[in-house]
Amino acid sequence: MEYDLAFFTEMLGRTLALWWVLIPSIFLGLVVGAIPGFSAANTIIILLPLTLALEPEIGLTFMVGLYASSRMGAGIPAILVNIPGTAGAAATPLDGYPMTKQGRGQQALSMSFVASITGGLFTTIIALITLPWLSQVAFYLHSVEMIVIMFFGISLIATIAAKDTLKGLIAGFFGLMIGFIGTDVVYETPRGTFGFLELYDKVPLIPALVGLFAISEAFAVIEKQSIVTERGKAAMQEPGWAQTFEGVRIAASKWWHITWNSLIGLVIGVVPGAGAAIASFVAYQQSKTYSKTPELYGTGHVEGLIAPESANNGVTSGTLVPLLVIGIPGGATAAIMLVVLQFHGVTVGPDLFITSPELAFGPFTAMAVTYALMILTVLPLARYMSHITVVSTIYMAPIIISFTLVGSFVPRAYLFDMNLALVFGVIGYVARKTGYHVAAILIGVILGPLMETFFLRAMKMSQGDIMVLFSSSIGNTLWVFLVISLALPYIMNRRNGKREKAAAHDPYG
Amino acid sequence: MADDAGAQEKKPVSIGSELIIPIAALAFTLYYFYTIWNAPWTAQVAAFIVGSVLILLVVLILIKSFRQLSRGDGEINFDNLIEPRSYIPKRLTLLGLTIAYIFVVPWLGFTITTFLFLSLAMLVLSDFTKKRLILSLSATLSLGGYLLFIVAFKTRFPAGPFENLMNGLF
Repeated sequence: MEYDLAFFTEMLGRTLALWWVLIPSIFLGLVVGAIPGFSAANTIIILLPLTLALEPEIGLTFMVGLYASSRMGAGIPAILVNIPGTAGAAATPLDGYPMTKQGRGQQALSMSFVASITGGLFTTIIALITLPWLSQVAFYLHSVEMIVIMFFGISLIATIAAKDTLKGLIAGFFGLMIGFIGTDVVYETPRGTFGFLELYDKVPLIPALVGLFAISEAFAVIEKQSIVTERGKAAMQEPGWAQTFEGVRIAASKWWHITWNSLIGLVIGVVPGAGAAIASFVAYQQSKTYSKTPELYGTGHVEGLIAPESANNGVTSGTLVPLLVIGIPGGATAAIMLVVLQFHGVTVGPDLFITSPELAFGPFTAMAVTYALMILTVLPLARYMSHITVVSTIYMAPIIISFTLVGSFVPRAYLFDMNLALVFGVIGYVARKTGYHVAAILIGVILGPLMETFFLRAMKMSQGDIMVLFSSSIGNTLWVFLVISLALPYIMNRRNGKREKAAAHDPYG
Repeated sequence: MADDAGAQEKKPVSIGSELIIPIAALAFTLYYFYTIWNAPWTAQVAAFIVGSVLILLVVLILIKSFRQLSRGDGEINFDNLIEPRSYIPKRLTLLGLTIAYIFVVPWLGFTITTFLFLSLAMLVLSDFTKKRLILSLSATLSLGGYLLFIVAFKTRFPAGPFENLMNGLF
């Protein structure tokens, strides 16, 4: 079979004909993405009886639509109320929430939507074109290379810690230690579990996310009338679409930033076991390192919002690549898609592109159409969604606490996880009040166990030789990039300082 | 104005509250080391590296705090954690209600517990004003939550009298 323009046009037509499946899946995805705990994977599991009953092509289209839109939905509460819907959106509030506090919530949402949609659409098209080559990426990125990629993400702790290095590093390393709770990957020895069986399988991410961001935020906001500052409220008094269009214009002007960061997401997404959280942390760190205005990050900077949102949407198409090309799911949602396909007797792998090209390419065209449909369905919502931020904290705080506690219960159905969320809430509240960044703690909790797993695998393969970390050419290249990206901000700062000094002493300046 | 700014700058650092996270981190690290002391090296290596760096960082912040104390730039109190003091009763009540929510939900179920939590928490935060609005909002939200989480998403949330009654009816 020839994969020419006529073939892809026909595929696009077939997917467009399934609009009646995609539109409900988009809205469902936005809702489940926005509530912590209700990830796309959980929802697809709940709806398995429905997806299994549908034709495989229709079932896959439904799952892909839900997956892509939930990724974007997770950014909405992250921007408006400082609560990321999933770990993949954990870097979004770093700049999204300060924008909301300034009364630019509508603008921030539309920027996030544009970054997510264009980033997701662009990487889907790139994935479709480069499928045979992209599928090889997973073969070249082994434990050693993944350790370096993890360091890119973890170095974000140092970036966050820029204002108070010591406190930032303590928060990050405390997070890493919490991330090591659970059994080790080789001998399954329980470590730091306080005797709780529920912690043997590591610290669950959703209760950590809910506690550190939502519960602590709810206890902190009761001291104010609303999330938005008085100046921000005044800025929100002018109703209309102007803020939405301004957000679209600003995001469109950062097209290169969206392109670059969504490609980071695509490459990281292709690696099985990586994922949106790593991609968004790496993207944020890279974005700040190479920015002309790094000092503005964390204060409501456009680039700081666009980078993680375009990266985590770049991941969505990336996770489909190893699933369809080599039969290895790149994440939880992809694994469920594999189950559905196997239920219908479909074997994924290279043969799928010859035997059932509509199933092999279908998920990518479905993803492209989902992102295109989201421009029409989601963008207009920014104007109305942003008004949630002016709701009084008298109502907001109890609602946040009760509904996010439910969210922390959902993934594992353990009451223990609600208690855990409260413990993380107390840690988060103390951290907020005393200047320790909760995002730094969360980065540690997310990346700590992943890095340990890759590190132990590398050490096992090398029989304990630490030099294995410098044994691959791709790994060494990544190490060089890491050193450059860590050193660059200091070099630039010193250069700028010298220039400013010289300008101050220049009598003709 | 300038005097105000100067006064704010001179306000001593609240050392007691600033040391809660480092002390908690140190205590947890030592406990973690205790749990892996006799474990195979695979269970130890990453934690010993990260934990050692964390202990070093905590020692550095302790030295910094002692220097602040000796210079008179800091005080041993918990001011920046508990301020504004006028909110202490509300904050503690909200914490108590949250703990009660977690402990009561296995018996009363999601819907009734959420209704009670929302109405009590909102009433406390609003100084017991707008009672009618709060009660109707709490009822709408808890019923909406029941329909969304339990009926639509089939969440395995603890069932109480309300959920059992609905199960029996439909």
